[in-house]
Amino acid sequence: MADTTTDTTALIPVTVLTGYLGAGKTTLLNRILTEQHGKKYAVVINEFGELGVDNDLVVDTDEEVFEMNNGCICCTVRGDLIRIVGGLMKRRDKFDGIIIETTGLANPAPVAQTFFVDEGVKAKTRLDAIVTVVDAKHLPARLLDSNEAADQIAFADVIVLNKTDLVTPEELAAVEAQIRAINKFAVIHHTQRAAVAIDEILNRGAFDLQRVLAFAPEFLSGDDDHEHNEDVRSLSFEVEKPIDPEKFNAWIGALLQDKGPDLLRTKGILSYAGEDRRFAFQAVHMIADGDFIGPWKDGDPRVSRLVFIGRNLNRPQLRRGFEGCVVD
Amino acid sequence: MSQTVRAEFMLQTRGVQRDLGAFVVAARFSRDGRSVAFSVGDGTVRLVRLSELSDWREVQVHDGAGLALAPDGDSGFVSGGDDGALRRVTGDGSVSDIARFGMKWVEQVAAHALDKGRGLIAASVGKMVHLFDETGKKLKEFTHPSSVTGLVFDTKGKRIAASHYNGVTMWFVAAKTDTPRKLEWKGSHTGIAIHPEGEAVVTAMQENALHGWKLPDGQHMRMSGYPAKTEALSFSKGGKWLASSGADAMVLWPFFGGGPMGKAPIELAGGDGVICTQVLCHPKEDLVAGGFTDGLVVVADIGSSRILPIAPPDHGPVTTLAWSPDGTRLAIGTETGFAGVMDFARR
Repeated sequence: MADTTTDTTALIPVTVLTGYLGAGKTTLLNRILTEQHGKKYAVVINEFGELGVDNDLVVDTDEEVFEMNNGCICCTVRGDLIRIVGGLMKRRDKFDGIIIETTGLANPAPVAQTFFVDEGVKAKTRLDAIVTVVDAKHLPARLLDSNEAADQIAFADVIVLNKTDLVTPEELAAVEAQIRAINKFAVIHHTQRAAVAIDEILNRGAFDLQRVLAFAPEFLSGDDDHEHNEDVRSLSFEVEKPIDPEKFNAWIGALLQDKGPDLLRTKGILSYAGEDRRFAFQAVHMIADGDFIGPWKDGDPRVSRLVFIGRNLNRPQLRRGFEGCVVD
Repeated sequence: MSQTVRAEFMLQTRGVQRDLGAFVVAARFSRDGRSVAFSVGDGTVRLVRLSELSDWREVQVHDGAGLALAPDGDSGFVSGGDDGALRRVTGDGSVSDIARFGMKWVEQVAAHALDKGRGLIAASVGKMVHLFDETGKKLKEFTHPSSVTGLVFDTKGKRIAASHYNGVTMWFVAAKTDTPRKLEWKGSHTGIAIHPEGEAVVTAMQENALHGWKLPDGQHMRMSGYPAKTEALSFSKGGKWLASSGADAMVLWPFFGGGPMGKAPIELAGGDGVICTQVLCHPKEDLVAGGFTDGLVVVADIGSSRILPIAPPDHGPVTTLAWSPDGTRLAIGTETGFAGVMDFARR
């Protein structure tokens, strides 16, 4: 039998836009679409969208989430996206990316998990980044009255902190501190009318294992002082001794199984004993992905780093667990 | 199959093939068996008369991609697309609207011929199934709890079954009041087949398994072990076998002698580690056609397991197969735009 031909064309990047109704999601979307970039995007919107979307290829969908029958209680998937990606691949006129706008109250997890779970979707597309638009004036109230506002910030790789003209500098600093307490690692852009450079939003590669911790500028800066357990927060850990892969797999596997519903995103770069390459790891709830990426650079310290964003995070327990993964 | 000697592929000697330049979404024969149509990802339908296999006619039908195709009348077709249009394409290539659904995709189309030239056309748009008569007059709408992923009439055209999240809904087409039969099983059902004698309904599921319900009692069946998602399900003539894709062979479950529960399926044309994407049973004989991710198409004799190679593994994943009503022709389409019509007729 002849060799199987494999499709070597690059996977189509998918950007997920989340944010509350009125935060400026559709404004950002229209800005992306109307800017002269010579690129074509397929846009997936839901029928409760606020404003019209100006694009040739707009797919109107109902967000249809279902639970996978795989024993993973928090593994929910957007079945409508699986069908839409399959349908879009049939078109002759190809496009440079897919942008998915979620409803205001959407939990980003099912969208993200769709791109990890479905083989057909994985074969054609890659999740590029989750972009969350928040309203500087109304975010504090949203954080008080719902979990979704915090989830959307927790999942974000990029946060567009919009409508900064409606708040005082003090209010802006306070709202940014609130965002940072939830997600220390996302890139934050201050905007008015969602004016942000497109290349800060698209093609970020945030779910690319190669860049799994690229969005952690404040990685080593002071740990958080935020201690309300019900709230979403982010914790980071590092160990200097090499990691034993078997111990790490056993620990992280059990941890994700046990605490998966509380662990929104987990990312790490690990230095395995006897290995010159870096091992990158990421998870959305219980669904994990990991692989070796490029070698450690000469002179760089071989430090293993792990980041958790979630609820009910027990810092001492997580630290002990991670430190217990080093080689004896 | 042979690793060293390249088998002779019958399409090269007894068929016709074309590069259609875009994803081949579906192939269907007309009910009179005189022509075959290919719905393509560029929004065209390509019409081929079997009496003139070299003449491929191109008709622009959708502003976007076609998504579903079914026969209509004696010689025509109905086509659903991602432009929200459900359109009729006559055998001579004229196109007209049956309905338009705005930005929503027309994802599934099923058709059934009744007697005296009457017929039924069903199309799914999101959660809704719209039912039309042969003139395109709207008869009914059926609403489902989530988007419809598979749509099929029973052999007599009395019932229509739709798959969706958490099961299947079966509607009596002519009922005055719509009280559907609901077959429930938690999870995402992504395709459907109905036993030709009405003895069972089977769905494909997201988790690489099949689920079924014996009728009329609704007893559950579960068929698992597939390495990939099942995209195609097809009962053999009389319903003796259910052929399925999603493994590195055509997998056929026995629907006789107490099966499929507790019985092993037979596997045909396997052994290469290449996933089967399409299967379709022959309309008259115990034969099954299968297509694979590498473009290989074979026809297998279910009784003897003998394999007849049809198209070589050169053309990308097989996306559609269609038998002519008399079973003398097989149409093939792939993701890379390859299309072929194989002629089995005695010469």
